[in-house]
Amino acid sequence: MSTVTSTRPADSVTTDPAPANRRRRRSPRARRGPRVSAWVAVVVFGAFALLPVYWLLATSLSPQDQVFSYPPSIFPSDITFEHYADLADNPDLFRYLVNSVVVSVVTAVLSVLVSAYMGYSFSKFRYRGRRSLMYLVLSSQMFPQALLLVTLYAVFSAYGLLNSYAALILSFTTFTLPLCVWMLKGFFDTIPDELIESARVDGASRLRIIHSIVMPLSAPGLVAAGLFAFVRGWNDFIFALTLAGPDKQTLPPGLVNTYVGEAQTAWPQLMAASLVVSLPVVIGFIVLQRYLVGGLTAGAVKG
Amino acid sequence: MSTTYSRRRLLQLMGLGAGAVGFGGLAACAPSADGNDTSGGSSSTPTSGGAAQDFGFASWSLSEEAPKPVIEGLISSFEGDAGISISPVTYPYNEYLNQLTLQVRGGQFSGAAQVDVAWLGALAALGKLTDLGSFADGRGYTDAALQAGQYDGTQFGLPWTIGAIGLVTNTELMQQAGITAAPTTIEDFEATLRALKGLGDNIIPYAASTKVAQLKDILIWMQTFGSPLVEDGTVTIGDEASIEAVAWYKKLYDEGLIAPDVDRFDARALFSQGRAAIYDDAIVGKSAVVGESPDPDFASKLDPISRPVVQSGDDPRALFWGHAIVVVDGDGSGTAAEFAQWLTSDEATTVGFFEDLGLPPTTQAALDSGAVTGDAFTAAFSERVTATATVNPFWQYPQYAQMESAVAEQVQAVLVGSSSPADAMAAAGEAVQALI
Repeated sequence: MSTVTSTRPADSVTTDPAPANRRRRRSPRARRGPRVSAWVAVVVFGAFALLPVYWLLATSLSPQDQVFSYPPSIFPSDITFEHYADLADNPDLFRYLVNSVVVSVVTAVLSVLVSAYMGYSFSKFRYRGRRSLMYLVLSSQMFPQALLLVTLYAVFSAYGLLNSYAALILSFTTFTLPLCVWMLKGFFDTIPDELIESARVDGASRLRIIHSIVMPLSAPGLVAAGLFAFVRGWNDFIFALTLAGPDKQTLPPGLVNTYVGEAQTAWPQLMAASLVVSLPVVIGFIVLQRYLVGGLTAGAVKG
Repeated sequence: MSTTYSRRRLLQLMGLGAGAVGFGGLAACAPSADGNDTSGGSSSTPTSGGAAQDFGFASWSLSEEAPKPVIEGLISSFEGDAGISISPVTYPYNEYLNQLTLQVRGGQFSGAAQVDVAWLGALAALGKLTDLGSFADGRGYTDAALQAGQYDGTQFGLPWTIGAIGLVTNTELMQQAGITAAPTTIEDFEATLRALKGLGDNIIPYAASTKVAQLKDILIWMQTFGSPLVEDGTVTIGDEASIEAVAWYKKLYDEGLIAPDVDRFDARALFSQGRAAIYDDAIVGKSAVVGESPDPDFASKLDPISRPVVQSGDDPRALFWGHAIVVVDGDGSGTAAEFAQWLTSDEATTVGFFEDLGLPPTTQAALDSGAVTGDAFTAAFSERVTATATVNPFWQYPQYAQMESAVAEQVQAVLVGSSSPADAMAAAGEAVQALI
């Protein structure tokens, strides 16, 4: 759907001249009004979103004894890069980063792989118990995930999976699957059955149809589901702290473990580390953001 | 009335039901190493001597910048002497108790573990802690330190560093307000706070805790006003003394002598910037406020004072604060107990630990050493605060944290004016009693 704003002269409009005349009579100042308010809104919301990021940057550049200075200052009076230089002395941070990337990427890939087939099945096949199964998958979202921590700990302990990537990847995939399945089912619903029928008439096998026709058409949805799963794995704190063990610890618990103490939090160092390790992910999201937006909304409206 | 279900609807309901039962059943299967003994601590005694064995050592300090290298050095030293290997385990302080509990209960951890003395009851209830009484004998621990490591009469923890939570003042602000002597009674204390408020410049006279997360600090004031909190298993909150304490706290709040939305971290930040004149802290907080202060001479301006009393001559109240080492039964627990004993009572080790981190030792010999007696702040803190410290009566219950929260929520209701002190304390008393 698109909206076109008419720029034709008033004399070309014959059916209802009044609105066009009104439009023509609006002064340049009046026309600028909505544009100015839009920009004001953008600036306000932009500041709302970016001020915490700026504060993170400013804190990371402040000496420790000026972090809580009173009155607070928008611009640090003294700037230091020592907290960034200190990061190089802490090899654990790189290990946390690698662990986070491994866990989040594998979680994303596994979630997309499984949920794509499940979503396709729910969308394009009709079989007994299909709807019940769909609601059963969704019902897992009704429970607070923290409730499952002890259960998963017991299960992974029994199977010797604690302190491994597998423990994190399996638990994160479990949490992301329901939403990914429903997201992709909505996406597959928008693909016309006639397209699939045509492929079958042309002799394509079921797997060929899925892999060569449906999946390429669903790329934005797959990317959106993958990004959702990636973010879930990247941000988790409590499961990563409990199940991963010291060697496989990811960034959220790793940063807290490193910089938040019993009596003191090393705020500038924590901010510097958070900023540096976030950069690769932010860049990745900027590159993929059009898929994320397109994928999230594609299944929302049928037809 | 009858309801007719279609086959499809029944299948949907069965699917939802199976999901709920499945998850509920799984959640009930929390790991338990032996599954039947959660009532009290283990009574087994480790055997010292014999072949030394590898073990684990859990400590939140192992992830903190200042203590980490010191403790790693101590671990290396013991490993070298005993010819064994110690596996370090670390979690952030705020998550430590939950994580350690899970590890111990699931049989994933055995060895020595650093604990906050407030956690002894909760950990002893798991039934996996070793009685370290025989390791405490003849090592010269002070009686107060030994008491802080006991739960239900059993020495489950060997005290590593013991102090208390007391009032710390900024002498510069006190002098500016014309206060030359520390207040000894509640009445003097109020007058001191008013004089400090008179300094203006948005100075907070007393950065007392007013956020729910830290409002458990009110308990020591309730004790100061005469409430025992728990007596023979009965909660006394709701008595006249506790109501009086909360009403007094509310008065300070209304007069602006204490500030809204303050917890320990906020109090340290305000104090370090010279924006608060008095706050509550343990001795471990000194390094934090000194490190965050822009004043290079700030350390010399800190002065601990005894908590004021209601009647002149009463004993000032203070709450024990400290770390102990417990030993979790399992492989290497005997060697772990020897490690705990060495770490907490070897004079050279404990004095060195104090010199490195400023945390007070727990044996008389170490306390009498020149390093400790020569530190003015520690000496003053020990004399004015730690000397009369007692444990929180709630700590004897594994659910002490919920009990503290129940009181804190009611006190906050009083502070924001949604409940009267009498009603709130009656409700708090009932809530805490229900948890016992």
